[in-house]
Amino acid sequence: MNIITLIKQVPDTTDIKTDPKTGNLIREGIESIINPDDRHAIEVAVSLKEKYKGKSIVVSMGPPQAIDAISEAIGMGIDEGILLADRNFGGADTWATSFTLGKAIEKINAYDLILCGRQAIDGDTAQIGPQVAEFLGLPQLTYVMDIEEVDDRRIIVKRGLGNGYERVESPLPALITVIGELNKPRYPRVDLLINACKENARITLWNAADLKVSVQEIGLSGSLTRVIKTFSPKVKREGEMLKGDKGEAVGQLIERLAGNYLI
Amino acid sequence: MERSDIEKLLRKVMAKFVDQEVIPVAREHDESGDFPYDLFKKIADMGILGIRYPKKVGGSGGNTTLYCITVEELARGLLSLGATTAMQCLMATDGLYRYGTDEMHEKYLRPAMRGEKIGAFQLTEPEAGSDLSNVRTRAIKSDDGWIINGMKTWSTSGPIGHFHTVLTQTDPDKGLRGLMFVFIPTDTPGFSHSKKFDLLGTRTTQMSEIYFNNCHVPDEYMLGQLGRGLDVLLTILSEIRVMTAALALGLQRAAMDDSIKYCKERVQFGRPISSYQLIQAKIANMAVNLEAGTLMSYKVTHLIDKNIPCLNEASMAKYFTTESACKAADEATRIFGAYGYSMEYNVQRYYRDNRFLLYGGGTHEVLQTTIARQYLR
Ligand SMILES: Cc1cc2nc3c(=O)[nH]c(=O)nc-3n(C[C@H](O)[C@H](O)[C@H](O)COP(=O)(O)OP(=O)(O)OC[C@H]3O[C@@H](n4cnc5c(N)ncnc54)[C@H](O)[C@@H]3O)c2cc1C
Ligand SMILES: Cc1cc2nc3c(=O)[nH]c(=O)nc-3n(C[C@H](O)[C@H](O)[C@H](O)COP(=O)(O)OP(=O)(O)OC[C@H]3O[C@@H](n4cnc5c(N)ncnc54)[C@H](O)[C@@H]3O)c2cc1C
Repeated sequence: MNIITLIKQVPDTTDIKTDPKTGNLIREGIESIINPDDRHAIEVAVSLKEKYKGKSIVVSMGPPQAIDAISEAIGMGIDEGILLADRNFGGADTWATSFTLGKAIEKINAYDLILCGRQAIDGDTAQIGPQVAEFLGLPQLTYVMDIEEVDDRRIIVKRGLGNGYERVESPLPALITVIGELNKPRYPRVDLLINACKENARITLWNAADLKVSVQEIGLSGSLTRVIKTFSPKVKREGEMLKGDKGEAVGQLIERLAGNYLI
Repeated sequence: MERSDIEKLLRKVMAKFVDQEVIPVAREHDESGDFPYDLFKKIADMGILGIRYPKKVGGSGGNTTLYCITVEELARGLLSLGATTAMQCLMATDGLYRYGTDEMHEKYLRPAMRGEKIGAFQLTEPEAGSDLSNVRTRAIKSDDGWIINGMKTWSTSGPIGHFHTVLTQTDPDKGLRGLMFVFIPTDTPGFSHSKKFDLLGTRTTQMSEIYFNNCHVPDEYMLGQLGRGLDVLLTILSEIRVMTAALALGLQRAAMDDSIKYCKERVQFGRPISSYQLIQAKIANMAVNLEAGTLMSYKVTHLIDKNIPCLNEASMAKYFTTESACKAADEATRIFGAYGYSMEYNVQRYYRDNRFLLYGGGTHEVLQTTIARQYLR
């Protein structure tokens, strides 16, 4: 079984600060990590590979330093990495990102399963997985919390729905996006990590020319959205005092909670 | 294409492991005083226990720098975990790796790297601490091997170990020239140990006296050449010292991290105590010592990785970083005020744990003497 996992390098914080003037992310002093959901995807890829053999590849689009995310994935047991890095990929919205990732997957060609995290902790759109699936014309299974069965022709998963789950079967090849409940990602092994940092590590760099895409289709020019302004919305918390005696107040509280589907 | 920098990447991976797996349970382990088998297994699964050894014997193909980065990070979480891991990676297994037969590698070294067997390293005796020429554990040649009699003390992992690298005397008249290391599996008849020591710090370290009563081992269990025990020790002495320095760096960082967090939160006289210059001075001193110690220590690891002799530099690094760690832990308890005296916070543990580093790897009185000798001769 050949598995492609899409991973994104993100800043190691959910408390992202933006420069109030430019609206740009303040990246200084913040370490980059593999997007947390993507670790779970890597764990799926590695454990499936251990069971069914085949090849596991990670693909990441990002700046040159995103190679660290790929090296770490190799440390976790992934066979090979492909870094999509090109100045012209910069400024991509989710459409252009999905297009570029899709082109890379087409170039790899041989795959049974594509794995993504549900959502990146910085961009937070959860659009990439579904868009890549659409681009490639593959069935998509999102919010996967459990993989019940998989062989070389089909996969049966549980999709987490918040208040329950949905059991779905799909033919392969397919794309799945995974959530944290799925597994506990392993830590990298030192020996594999050392290999991943060597000159002969199995990591390849692809640029726009390698993907045979034109500059108009990728990066900022290939993006359908234009960011006019970014800002942090002011979060306002307003308290409300419930009036009446204890019994009434509790009754009102329960009403409020139930009304907001909190209980 | 430029590859990832393994030193940075490994540090990041280890830092995450320590933050997620070690720090949350460190206090619990310290209080129980039991050997943290679960954490040790996780460390083994990451290939850390074989980090210094080449792939051909089942190791991870790393070096001294990577080894020290790893134990530094572990020490930041729990010093005793860093120390026992360091022991397993280096002192407990290096003689076995260098001088053991393939069969011994199969039976002991590979399982040790998988975390299935634990090793110990025994130099110290009741009458031989700093003065190893006074080692009295006797090895006497028999027809088909050696017979060992005597006792050791302060043996890290000794009472839970499966095998032991033991410094013995083959000929008391020869003093240091009569020393020899032997490999003694725990299941050798005549092997026994005392009950576990009760320690001030590093409380998950299992420590005891070890007794050898007519322990018979085959010839191939002699590690290195007859009478060259001191050379075997010298081969790894720089590494032992810089490893100890790395442990000290880890502890120092823990003390500093906790201090920074606390002094920004604790408000007295209407302001966070971090706004007072005397508190700032403590943080500044910790930072300067940490920076200097880091430079000294990793200079040494890089020299070792290039096979350049550096015992003096290693002694200096061990001495400096350990003294800095002691100071940092001391200052941390002051920054915490009464809470530094409470078992509720970790700084009391740093204060207790760091004392161990003063003795392991050579006492500072002895180190100062040997450092001075380099300049006074
Ligand atoms: C309107 C809009 C405008 C934007 N404009 C810019 C811009 O001008 N400049 C800029 O730098 N960014 C911009 N971005 C951010 C950028 O488009 C996204 O970071 C990127 O498309 C991924 O989306 P996401 O972070 O929401 O990922 P999600 O869709 O939340 O990620 C889901 C999963 O997709 C996979 N994945 C996501 N990104 C990658 C990747 N790069 N490589 C491999 N796998 C991946 C991972 O498996 C991940 O877990 C913009 C985003 C939006 C929504
Ligand atoms: C937690 C812990 C773990 C240990 N683990 C191990 C282990 O796994 N294996 C092992 O073999 N040993 C181990 N040791 C023992 C350690 O190596 C010894 O404590 C160390 O060698 C010092 O010996 P000593 O304690 O007998 O002190 P002594 O040598 O008796 O020293 C007592 C004092 O005299 C000073 N002194 C001694 N000689 C001189 C001199 N020439 N000049 C000036 N001052 C001097 C010392 O500096 C010290 O202040 C461990 C110790 C501890 C605390």
